[in-house]
Amino acid sequence: MQNHIAEFRKAARLSQQELADAINVSRKTISTVETSRFTPSVIIALKIALHFNTSVESLFILDEHD
Amino acid sequence: MKQQDIKTEEKFMSHNAWFSIFMGVTLLIISGYPILNHTSVPLLFLGSAAFLGSFFMFVIRGGFTWKLSYRLTYKDEYLNTIDTIAYKHVVLALLFSMGTIYLCSDSLALQVSHSMMATFYLAVMSLVYGISILWQSRD
Repeated sequence: MQNHIAEFRKAARLSQQELADAINVSRKTISTVETSRFTPSVIIALKIALHFNTSVESLFILDEHD
Repeated sequence: MKQQDIKTEEKFMSHNAWFSIFMGVTLLIISGYPILNHTSVPLLFLGSAAFLGSFFMFVIRGGFTWKLSYRLTYKDEYLNTIDTIAYKHVVLALLFSMGTIYLCSDSLALQVSHSMMATFYLAVMSLVYGISILWQSRD
C-alpha cells in the first residue's frame, strides 16, 4: 500500500516528530508508515487524515499486491 | 495515552534492545568460554558481575519499569508490533539452535553441563531479541 503522508506532512511544514506528537504516536510509526514498511490501523489512518483535513482515500492508495 | 508516555516507551524499547544484546553477549561468553577451555568459575563470576552492572545501569537507574507500570505490551501500535515480531524471531532462533544442538548433542554431552546449555539458550534468545528490535526500528 502506497501513501502520500510525506507529501502532506512536508506541505504542512511539519517534522515527523511534530506529526507524531499531534496524533499521539511514536515518531517511528510515522517514519515506517511513510516508507510503507508498516501498515497502520484504521484509527491511526483516520487520525492522520483528520489532522490534514482530508480523507483516508486521498492519503492511502492500494497497489496490485494488496 | 499521553505523548510523554509514548516517548518513554520509545526510549525504553531502545534501552531494552541494547540491554538484551549486552546480556546476550555476556551470557554467550559465560556459556561458550568454558566449552572451549573446560573451566567456568572465574568467568562465571565476571559474567555475573557484568550482567548485574548492566542491569542496574539500564533498568534500575532508568526507572523504566515503574514508569511503564510493569505492562507487558506497548501502547504504541508500531512498538507493540515490532515487539511481537521480535518474540517470533526469538522462538525461531531458539528452535533452530535447539535443533542444531540436538543433531550434534552426542559430541557435546560429555563436556557441557545442563546449566551451560541453559545459559547458551538464554544468550541466543537475548541476542536475537535485541538485534531484531534494533533492525526493525531502523528509519
